[in-house]
Amino acid sequence: MTQPSLHPFTWWLWAIGLAVAIVRFDSTWITLSCVGVVMVVVFRLRDDAPWAKSFDWTLKLSAWILGIRTIIGITIGVPIPGTELFRLPVLPLPTWMPGIRIGGVVTWERLSSSLSEGLLICSIIVILGAAASLTSPHRLLRVLPIYIYEFAVAVVIATSVLPQLVGSVKRIRLAQRLRGQNTRGFRSWKRVAIPLLEESLARSLDLAAAMDSRGYGVSKKRSRYRPISWRLKDSLVVISAIGLVVIS
Amino acid sequence: MATQGFSSRDLSYWIGRDLMIKFSHVSLIYPNSTTTVLEELNLTIAEGELVLVIGPTGSGKSSLLRLINGLVPHHTGGILAGDISVNGVSTQMTKPGGMAHLIGIVGQNPANGFVADTVEEELAFGMEVLNLPNDVMRKRVEEVLDLLSLAALRNRSIATLSGGEQQRVAIGAALVTHPKVLVLDEPTSALDPIAAEEVLSILHRLVHDLGLTVVIAEHKLERVIQFADRIVYINGDGAANVGTPEEILMQSPIAPPIVHLARALGLKEIGVTVREMRRMTTHLREAIASHPVADSQKPTETVISIDKLTVSYENQTALNNITSTICAGEIVAVMGRNGAGKSSLLKAIAGVNRASAGVIKVLGDDPYHLQGKNRREAVGYIPQEPSDLLYGQSVSIECAQADRDNELPAGTTYEVLQQLVPGISLTTHPRDLSEGQRLGLALSVVLSSNPSILILDEPTRGLDYEAKNELTRMLVNFAATFGKAVLLATHDVELVAELANRVIFIADGDIVADGTTLDVLLSSPAFAPQVAKVVSPQPWLRVKDVVAAIEGMQ
Repeated sequence: MTQPSLHPFTWWLWAIGLAVAIVRFDSTWITLSCVGVVMVVVFRLRDDAPWAKSFDWTLKLSAWILGIRTIIGITIGVPIPGTELFRLPVLPLPTWMPGIRIGGVVTWERLSSSLSEGLLICSIIVILGAAASLTSPHRLLRVLPIYIYEFAVAVVIATSVLPQLVGSVKRIRLAQRLRGQNTRGFRSWKRVAIPLLEESLARSLDLAAAMDSRGYGVSKKRSRYRPISWRLKDSLVVISAIGLVVIS
Repeated sequence: MATQGFSSRDLSYWIGRDLMIKFSHVSLIYPNSTTTVLEELNLTIAEGELVLVIGPTGSGKSSLLRLINGLVPHHTGGILAGDISVNGVSTQMTKPGGMAHLIGIVGQNPANGFVADTVEEELAFGMEVLNLPNDVMRKRVEEVLDLLSLAALRNRSIATLSGGEQQRVAIGAALVTHPKVLVLDEPTSALDPIAAEEVLSILHRLVHDLGLTVVIAEHKLERVIQFADRIVYINGDGAANVGTPEEILMQSPIAPPIVHLARALGLKEIGVTVREMRRMTTHLREAIASHPVADSQKPTETVISIDKLTVSYENQTALNNITSTICAGEIVAVMGRNGAGKSSLLKAIAGVNRASAGVIKVLGDDPYHLQGKNRREAVGYIPQEPSDLLYGQSVSIECAQADRDNELPAGTTYEVLQQLVPGISLTTHPRDLSEGQRLGLALSVVLSSNPSILILDEPTRGLDYEAKNELTRMLVNFAATFGKAVLLATHDVELVAELANRVIFIADGDIVADGTTLDVLLSSPAFAPQVAKVVSPQPWLRVKDVVAAIEGMQ
């Protein structure tokens, strides 16, 4: 851990703050600069724990979402008048679907509004993904109050098992490559997905069983071996995000 | 043997002992299953006893262990009849969490059960959730760190520990709450012989010093048998036998090599430790003059040549300037501690890792650049998890895919599978196969492309003796009949003795020993198989070597 002293909530509060701020600003430039800051922070501060590596996949995922969202945005929907960029063939629709059109004129306004909407969604994914990769799920579990037991177990399993899957994906793709299978393209994912799903289920069950048999959630009170304290650094990080929300 | 009720022997056994675990009339069946896992099992375990649970793969050993703290059926479902109580607390009334202060449980794969990042936090977790005061926690953490020699690792991240260290942390984490019972599922399956010995001697000490009750399931009997007070043998069809190691092993099909030796020699009694067996076989060692071992190794065509190979990942050297050649027809075992570089060597040969320096040639080509069909025909690779290779929804789809990949007539792969592991139905989902069957399927898929070199990474994890014999037979056949090279990384000394004709021993990225199996295994007592320990100084590794030597005498 490069920053062991930061409280596990800090990055999550910071991320939520940023997310709220960019939604309220609704400005492409502010969104882009926030994402830039987040990426710099992650690449500077993250260590080589499995959850830290999940950020690369977050970026890939959001790029996909942005692409798909934009394509759908410019092909389906109500036309927006403006500067014409190019024309797509119009797909005829039955008369009981008035007002909706597939294809047709693509205007600059249409493209930019689709892009900025997609960007907003993606930036929120990136920012929350950043918090997940900067915070150890195990430390997060230790500070979550015990009365949200079921929720906490789910959080731990989601945040600790899912990033480990990134490692599993690598391992499985490797094995498949050695079987001489193509590991590129969409179809190869089907071959990875099945062993992966199986493994993730097994892991989640193992972890849940281990937590259960060690008495997690039995006592409503929980003592602290080394309490994780909230420090000035944490406050500063969170205040920076709150500041942004207030300005917006 | 006393399966039902108590015999007079049991009565005398119980005098002066406290009852710790009691199974009364326990039957267990899982939903959607037609066979019962356990039927009418009666079993009592005293305080301070070390009980070993054995049985074929998939016979329900894990289920029996998980019944003790109620994970079965509370966590897994299933219909349970009868009652299990630990220290007077019945699992019917109490959920696993409520037993946490009584029972420490270490799962088959401890890495999946860790909830903290560092060793110290992991140890403290169990006490935190039980709400123990801080000063108690500090004292106990120190105690356990010392007990399991973990003090040097206290601030290390768990993810960076070796398998043996992780296993010790998992045991430590189970011990901090001062449980009365410790339950371990295959604690040594992923460990090298020395790490395994370390873990087992710690358990032995806990039993003797603290009166801890320990229940272990283990396949590698040769490792644990000398520590066991009693054995529970589960058949898989619901029946179970309980008795002393001598009683059970006398007739059990599952037995360590030492017992097979006693049977082969026709001894009236069997010994479960090397010391006992040495006492019984004094006459043998003296009677038989050293029999020259036939050197059957003929030099053949080189298939793998490694010249000054160095592999490093991010500033860490995994392999350091290694030079070696491997010929067709050889079965080479790569041995060494966890993290010594075994997997790196195999992966370099398979062409996964790029060499940082040096040259590696497989059939004259750099394996890193092999693609598709050429790769399949050059190197077959079975990873640690054979299921990584499988993605079909049934055995038939899997076999058909392999046939298509290799342009073989339909059904060829399934024929190979039938030879390797007979009786697998085509419609079974690969997930529902047993560990050994799944390995067989992965193997037949890989073998269908007829590779010149077969590489297996830790193939025996979770395999029982029968499956291991099967694997040995398959590989020896493959290497001898077709003149192919087989490389396997393993911790299993007994398998190496049965299978390999050459051993490469790696430590810290260097080859420290490379020679015939006989020379390498006999040079270190820690890596000597049981039979060799018994008949030492005679150079025999396997039961059949001893038998052959005796027959040669007559």
